[in-house]
Amino acid sequence: MRWVIGAVGVVMGLWGAVLVLPLVDVDLALWFVAGPVVHDVLLAPLFAGVGLLVARWVPPRWRAAVLVGGTFTGVLVLLAVPLLWRPFAGSRNPGLLDRDYPVGLLVAVGVVWAAVLVTTAVVRERPRADR
Amino acid sequence: MKRASSPHTATRIGLWSGVAFGLCFVTGLLSHLLQHPPGWFAWPTRPVGLYRVTQGVHVTAGVAAIPLLLAKLWTVHPKLFERPVVRSLPHALERGSIFVLLGASFFELVTGLFNAAQNYPWRFFFPPAHHAVAWIAVGSLLVHIAVKLPLMRTPAEQVRRGTLSRRGFLLTTGGAAAVAVLATAGGTVPWLRAVSVLGARSVELPVNRTAASARVSAVDDDWRLTVGARRFSRRELEALPQTTAELPIACVEGWSASARWTGVPVRDLLALAGVEPGDVRVESLERDGLYRASTLPAAHARDPSTLLALRVNGETLPLDHGYPCRLIAPSRPGVTQTKWVTRLEVVR
Ligand code: HEM
Ligand code: HEM
Repeated sequence: MRWVIGAVGVVMGLWGAVLVLPLVDVDLALWFVAGPVVHDVLLAPLFAGVGLLVARWVPPRWRAAVLVGGTFTGVLVLLAVPLLWRPFAGSRNPGLLDRDYPVGLLVAVGVVWAAVLVTTAVVRERPRADR
Repeated sequence: MKRASSPHTATRIGLWSGVAFGLCFVTGLLSHLLQHPPGWFAWPTRPVGLYRVTQGVHVTAGVAAIPLLLAKLWTVHPKLFERPVVRSLPHALERGSIFVLLGASFFELVTGLFNAAQNYPWRFFFPPAHHAVAWIAVGSLLVHIAVKLPLMRTPAEQVRRGTLSRRGFLLTTGGAAAVAVLATAGGTVPWLRAVSVLGARSVELPVNRTAASARVSAVDDDWRLTVGARRFSRRELEALPQTTAELPIACVEGWSASARWTGVPVRDLLALAGVEPGDVRVESLERDGLYRASTLPAAHARDPSTLLALRVNGETLPLDHGYPCRLIAPSRPGVTQTKWVTRLEVVR
């Protein structure tokens, strides 16, 4: 079974390589390696650093709330990047981006923090079950 | 903060991302086949919203996969920085396959997300690149599953030191995926429109390509629709028996919206012109651009609700929606719903 799955995977990957070969240039190659590199040198240390800061500075009762709120905020910010950072956008398209994204982002982040903080304040701390 | 390996959690989150990637792969290939159909490919005309669903699933599952991928990497963090980097030939191959999996996964998610916002910080042509790398992503994912298969039965870690419990971490991951979907899916799920603050195209019936950007100016009375040897003015089209159908516009970029279209069924026009039905080439007033013409498959051309629409939601078709008339067929990608139609021609 293992070998069958692996072999199918190798064949599909090779087919992808055949398709991508005529398209490869420096730009595409950079885009391919950028993900893992940016993750390893930027995102991962950033998350780890935030985790450490939270562990050091935030009172235990609020730590989970801050981590969850921070995670959701990070996801919202990532999704907003293609909407807010547009020096490479196609020609202006009035029908495409038709709401106020900076305000929308702030509202969503505000709702997330209000929700996690209220939940934490309301739920009485129970003995921690660790799994 | 030293963390240990956690194959149980890695499998859980891996499975979730695997499902999201699988959905993206299948729906993406369908979208490709619809736009470039080989001879053996047939696509049903019912349900009318089929493409709306498949492409909506594509973009929604893709967006959900972004937090899932990051959570997966967070789980396996200690393994990514293991030393020595390479221990043996099989180990080197495994590291290599993991690198390919990560490169291809990030490539698909990031290019897809930017493309859906019509933002292109690259020089390659998106569809073939995203398509080719999709095979690499799913191929290396299968290799990854094959390699890790023996670890999947590992029991849950006893205790995971840190702020969040194992369950808390899984819940947070699921929550992050839900937040990502809620924030963006309004472009295709109407009742989420108010909530999706990061969704593109929040209006009732969006316009992607305006007449101005297609360089189509106001159409005068000389306009005629050519079908075979027959020519119709807009007034003649209005005098023919009209059909009204509720049909969605469903864009390859994932947004979609439904509307009530009124016009003349394409099959009636072909019959009036006395041409044998078949695949129909639909040409537009647009002078250039990838989408100035499309081919309507015979099955769709035969369908009674495939219209040359003259009106939308009870009003005369606005110029930006394709005045004097546009094609609207069930279950087709938006780019093939040609606007400003001038000619219908049976090609085979
Ligand atoms: C998009 C999908 C996925 C990505 C990007 C991904 C990525 C990764 C990475 C980077 C590692 C670390 C590997 C190493 O350095 O040795 C890993 C480990 C692992 N993955 Fe995945 N994975 C995915 C899907 C899956 C699926 C579908 C499964 C199983 C059903 C799975 C099961 C595992 C297991 C069991 C480990 C080992 C964890 C450990 O030993 O601590 N993964 N994955
Ligand atoms: C692992 C994840 C993904 C896989 C395997 C995948 C795969 C594919 C494939 C095979 C196609 C067909 C391309 C063609 O027409 O030749 C496609 C198209 C597309 N994908 Fe993805 N995709 C992924 C993620 C995403 C994401 C996250 C988004 C956006 C949020 C996205 C947006 C699109 C768009 C807009 C198209 C239409 C392109 C066009 O026809 O112009 N994809 N995808």
